[in-house]
Amino acid sequence: MVDVNDYNNEYENKWCPGCGNFGVIAAMKDALVKQAIAPHQILLISGIGQAAKLPHFMKCNMFQTLHGRALPIATGARMANHDLNIIVNSGDGDCYGEGGNHFLSAVRRNVDITLLVHNNKVYGLTKGQASPTSDMGMVTKIQRHGVISEPFAPLSVALSLGAGFVARGFAGDTEHLSYLIVEAMAHRGFSLIDILQPCVSFNKVNTYAWYKKRVYKLEETGYRPDDFEEALRLARQWGDRIPIGIVYREEKPTFEDKIPGLKEGPIISRRYDASKVKQLFT
Amino acid sequence: MSIDITVKIGGEAGQGIQTVGDLLALVCRKAGLYIMAINDYESRIRGGHSFFQIRIADRPVTAPHHKTDLLVALSRRTIDLHEKELAEGGLIMTDQAEDGEKENLVSIPINDLAVEAGGKITANTVAAGVCLSLLGAPFNLYREVLSEHFSKKSDKVIQDNIKAAELGYKAVEKRVFHRAFHWDFGQPKGMLMDGAKAVAYGALAADCRVAAFYPMSPATGIMAELIARSDVFPIVVEQAEDEIAAVNMIVGASFAGARAMTSTSGGGFCLMTEGLGLAAMSETPIVIVNAQRPGPATGLPTRSSQSDLLFVIRASQDEFPRFVFAPGTVAEAYESMLRAFDLSERYQVPAIVLTDHYMHTSVWLNDTELTVPDVVERHIADKPADDPDNYNRFAVSTSGISPRIIPCTGEALIVSTGNEHREDGHISEAIDDRIAMVDKRNAKMKAMTAEMAPPEALFGDAGTLLVGWGSAGGAIREAVELLRDEGYDAGALLFADIWPFPADAVENRLKQCKRFLMVEMNSTAQLGSLIREQTGLAHSGTILKYDGRPIYPVEISDGFKRIME
Repeated sequence: MVDVNDYNNEYENKWCPGCGNFGVIAAMKDALVKQAIAPHQILLISGIGQAAKLPHFMKCNMFQTLHGRALPIATGARMANHDLNIIVNSGDGDCYGEGGNHFLSAVRRNVDITLLVHNNKVYGLTKGQASPTSDMGMVTKIQRHGVISEPFAPLSVALSLGAGFVARGFAGDTEHLSYLIVEAMAHRGFSLIDILQPCVSFNKVNTYAWYKKRVYKLEETGYRPDDFEEALRLARQWGDRIPIGIVYREEKPTFEDKIPGLKEGPIISRRYDASKVKQLFT
Repeated sequence: MSIDITVKIGGEAGQGIQTVGDLLALVCRKAGLYIMAINDYESRIRGGHSFFQIRIADRPVTAPHHKTDLLVALSRRTIDLHEKELAEGGLIMTDQAEDGEKENLVSIPINDLAVEAGGKITANTVAAGVCLSLLGAPFNLYREVLSEHFSKKSDKVIQDNIKAAELGYKAVEKRVFHRAFHWDFGQPKGMLMDGAKAVAYGALAADCRVAAFYPMSPATGIMAELIARSDVFPIVVEQAEDEIAAVNMIVGASFAGARAMTSTSGGGFCLMTEGLGLAAMSETPIVIVNAQRPGPATGLPTRSSQSDLLFVIRASQDEFPRFVFAPGTVAEAYESMLRAFDLSERYQVPAIVLTDHYMHTSVWLNDTELTVPDVVERHIADKPADDPDNYNRFAVSTSGISPRIIPCTGEALIVSTGNEHREDGHISEAIDDRIAMVDKRNAKMKAMTAEMAPPEALFGDAGTLLVGWGSAGGAIREAVELLRDEGYDAGALLFADIWPFPADAVENRLKQCKRFLMVEMNSTAQLGSLIREQTGLAHSGTILKYDGRPIYPVEISDGFKRIME
């Protein structure tokens, strides 16, 4: 039996009190325990940012890498061993800014990993600059006259690139987020959960209260996430009402399915054969 | 009589110059001859001017020759550009003659003959046939090569090509060429190999399982070779979205337990320097091939250089141990890959193999036997299984090497990060941790240095040594022969192992000579700078070439004489 305490470690947590990341980590532990996955059976990969620190605060296999680069690292890990169960923890700056090209490519490849983007719409680690998802007009110490770019729309972008599992979660609803993580991990192929996450230190607009007033659960509306056009409409819904839940789900052949060399199992499990090398020289 | 003949085939991109060259190389190999061939082309798919230059000899040849015995001109421009390179008694074979035949010009209606044989597409077979006929090669040899070369095509294709070959032979049957010789040199002496193939085969022999890359000349050929063999070998090759992704994919793959590599050229390597640092900090073994071309920025995409040496030994911020190899021959390129993979895993550091455009696109007949390991040792720890709770990925040790495990293969947990960290892999900003980890990583340098081979010495006791590295070695070798034939007291030191720098061995060698001269394909003698930094010994002169073209032995011997005067 796997217990939630199995995932606790003694490493000192470094997030601000009240940080939305606490909701995310609680939901992750809950989802892993529900699936009876033990710490040595999971690999967390992250980049840089407050979200990317998460793996350090959980007892499990982990590789915290470079800013924006978690997805290519995870893709490479799956190329080596596609039996690995991988969750990538990233933030809006890490994934949609620095790692934007990798995000587009990971969606297109349909690598079988679960990507959690802790989207707090602001740069936390570097103290409050606008992020790719900050709403237009948001004022920061750097964006003194307000953000002048359109916000990055992760759900719409993922959908338009053919993503097979697109969901939105809310860090303030751990139970719902845990459900989404279980569903995302069960999905064969790339799964994205963009997690709305308040930043208590630097985002004074998108607070817990702000979100609580607006979010509604798609599951409670009778919505079936198999209509692409409807999914696109919901992906763009923002303002007074913000949907959370599974926006779109469609299983397709994965990156790993499409590589002939992986049919016989993980590439690391295959045997070295010197006679094949010798044949190169005949 | 010794055979040493150069045939140069010039024309526009897309005309099939390379095919003519390939056929000549195959026939020469079959006849038991040695060859060395260079490919010269522009960054375009059609038009412009390119050439393939093949040197045919009855002994191993390591560099191109500056004189052409037979110039095959498939364009008028080829004659204008290369006529001056003709050796005494040399011939030009062309279908571009404007004012009838001159004494040294053989006019052949190549395209007409090709059409007669079955189609314009056989023009290259006609052209190669003309060359072989002029050089006295037996027709049967050529016929066999054509049958083998087109064995996967239809009978008609084979018959058309044999017909084209016959017509080419007949067209010059009455022409006497004084460089014709008797083609009888026994069995093939080895295998035709270009640098790209040598690197790829080395990677396969090293059991590389994952490769990721972003297309870039001249490195893409390696990946094409790997992909071509991915049905037979357990290897996955992925074209990444950019070089940043490519290097990080292989870090991820290696972390997950596969031997992994990427290949690129200087500009792509620039983008990879961040990932190189991650490999260093997380002590994840990776192999990067940097096939150099002239820079900065886009530079000369289809030309060669040796200008990234100081860059790669220092690339990425701060300090960390790494291996850098710069093989000088195709055999060394193959062996360097084996060593790069093995040493990278043994010491858990990145390894860089520096090649260049010249090595990747030139063809040699390799007669050196290549190592094929029976077993590939992976240097993975099995201990943590006994005590998984106390496993520390970055445990401090005197060697600097900590036990490496593969995630999700046992109970022990692996914690790794690009941040500075504690022994258990978690981030730390503590002073003690920082010092311990820097010292631990650097502690590897002593044993790593001992792995480095000293430079190869040719007449190492000579008064004046020509010192070079990587692919320039071939031309330096022949320059030493030329100089010694003329009575000069010349020798050479050729570096293939660059970093960690084998300083003691180099110092001992260089102290014995009166002077040493640097021969490099860059504008500042980068290896010369490194030697001075590492040994305190300064070179007395330089022979540098940085126009992107291959260096010829005679350019080195001339440079030597100029300096010595």
